[in-house]
Amino acid sequence: MVNFIWEDIIKSKEKETQIGSVLKENFLFAELSKKELRFIEKIVHVRKYRPGETIFRQGEIGVGMYIIIHGIVDIFQERQAPEAEDVERVLITTLHEGTFFGELSLVEDNGKRSATACAKEEAVLVGFFKPDLLEVLDRNPVMGVKITFRLAEILGQRLRATTEKVSQLRNHIQNNGEAGSSAGGK
Amino acid sequence: MKRFQKVLRRERIIKLISVLAVLALGATILLAVENMLLSFVLAFVISYLLGPFANRLERAGFSRSVAVLVPFCVTGLLILLGTIIMVPMVSAQFGHLKAEVPKYIEGITKLMSETEEYVNVLFQSFYRVDFSSTVEAKLSGWAGTIFGDLPQIIGRMFTVSLLAPLFAYFMLKDGQKFMRSLLNLVPNNLFELALNLQHQINIQLGGFIRARLLEAAIVGAVVWVGLAIISFPYAALLGVFAAVTNLIPYVGPFIGAVPTYLVAFINGDSGLQLMLITIIYAVSQLIDIVFIIPLVVAKIVNLHPVTVILAIIIGSEVMGVLGMIISIPITSILKLTVNTVYNHLVNQ
Repeated sequence: MVNFIWEDIIKSKEKETQIGSVLKENFLFAELSKKELRFIEKIVHVRKYRPGETIFRQGEIGVGMYIIIHGIVDIFQERQAPEAEDVERVLITTLHEGTFFGELSLVEDNGKRSATACAKEEAVLVGFFKPDLLEVLDRNPVMGVKITFRLAEILGQRLRATTEKVSQLRNHIQNNGEAGSSAGGK
Repeated sequence: MKRFQKVLRRERIIKLISVLAVLALGATILLAVENMLLSFVLAFVISYLLGPFANRLERAGFSRSVAVLVPFCVTGLLILLGTIIMVPMVSAQFGHLKAEVPKYIEGITKLMSETEEYVNVLFQSFYRVDFSSTVEAKLSGWAGTIFGDLPQIIGRMFTVSLLAPLFAYFMLKDGQKFMRSLLNLVPNNLFELALNLQHQINIQLGGFIRARLLEAAIVGAVVWVGLAIISFPYAALLGVFAAVTNLIPYVGPFIGAVPTYLVAFINGDSGLQLMLITIIYAVSQLIDIVFIIPLVVAKIVNLHPVTVILAIIIGSEVMGVLGMIISIPITSILKLTVNTVYNHLVNQ
């Protein structure tokens, strides 16, 4: 068993450097100065997950986002089929080191998680949560605004991608419908 | 995978026990060590009051240590100045009160025996009451204890006034760090729930403490100024008493007014003077009820009046006056915790 208490003390310095470099490369914190990044390092939460361990579950109230420092994370959509006892899990995507997920919870008020996240292998994640963002905005508004702007940009990109997908799907359905009706006409 | 699940479960249990052990140890220290609970409650109050100033200074570019230290120094200076101005006034009133205590005890006893006589006439032979002798003995004993224990009370106040600011300073400077360390021990499956809960409790408690202190200060000031205007004795003491008792919801304002009416009855004040006293207390409560409670307090604590009264009764049984004052925030924290945990576990 991993000794979580002693490991935290011995490896803390090494971990800090690793977290610092991952944060610096992250889109959300890319505009921050070295001093501001040090502030963020002190605020974020480092969490370790076992293979197969759930990070958060679909339907739970989300509090914030996670950045993958080490390991792989699977994102699932859970569906309850009618008359079936078990919940069906559909893999949506697999995320690797440096990527982040769950950022919508940073701006939602008591918003629920739209998917389930599970560690595929031993994973180390950095959690940045709504209380942390509010603390940054309260204690250092300039830094808070930089992060919030980046967050808005990410959410905008996600919205654009979703809109494109929806219009693609609509076109696809429309084309299929037209093809079906012309085939039926013949 | 099965082995991992077993290890995971064991790790979660160990972490949960660690968190609960830290919390239980903290609670034991607070309850077992003398002056610790009061110092801690006061430290919370100070840290919630000075926190916004510290954050404001940090926003202006000061380091956290300096940003926390400056409000402490400024407040310390203000308190020192206030003490220099207030102590002669309050101690003169207190000395005067000490000299006049036998007169007031006699007056209260007389008032009691008159009431007793009236009640006995009213009930004739159905029921006879005799409480004036008991009350006199109790009051004499109580007054003797208060003035006899005064050095001990002052010593206790001195310890608390040293410990509370010290705790408050470290709460403001390292409180987040400590909370993060505690949250590190929380198992992953409960982590977001614990973080969310801690954040909501922090917001609710901060708002509640600031609102209640604002209420108490306004009520105390109105009573003090009002009584001073009508040249009523012990205006400063009665103002402070009204402010402190106002922290107890519902019954506090009535308790706060009792000594004033007793002094007025014993001194044989006129009906006009009694009416003026009633107006002063009514105005202080009107300001509280019309402006402060709807605008500030009601938004923070959403408890049913029956729950509030039950909480106050339980608080007074367990911890006396301090229990009555802290029963409401503790009840609202319990309500918040139950709601949040329920939403997390059931409402998925």
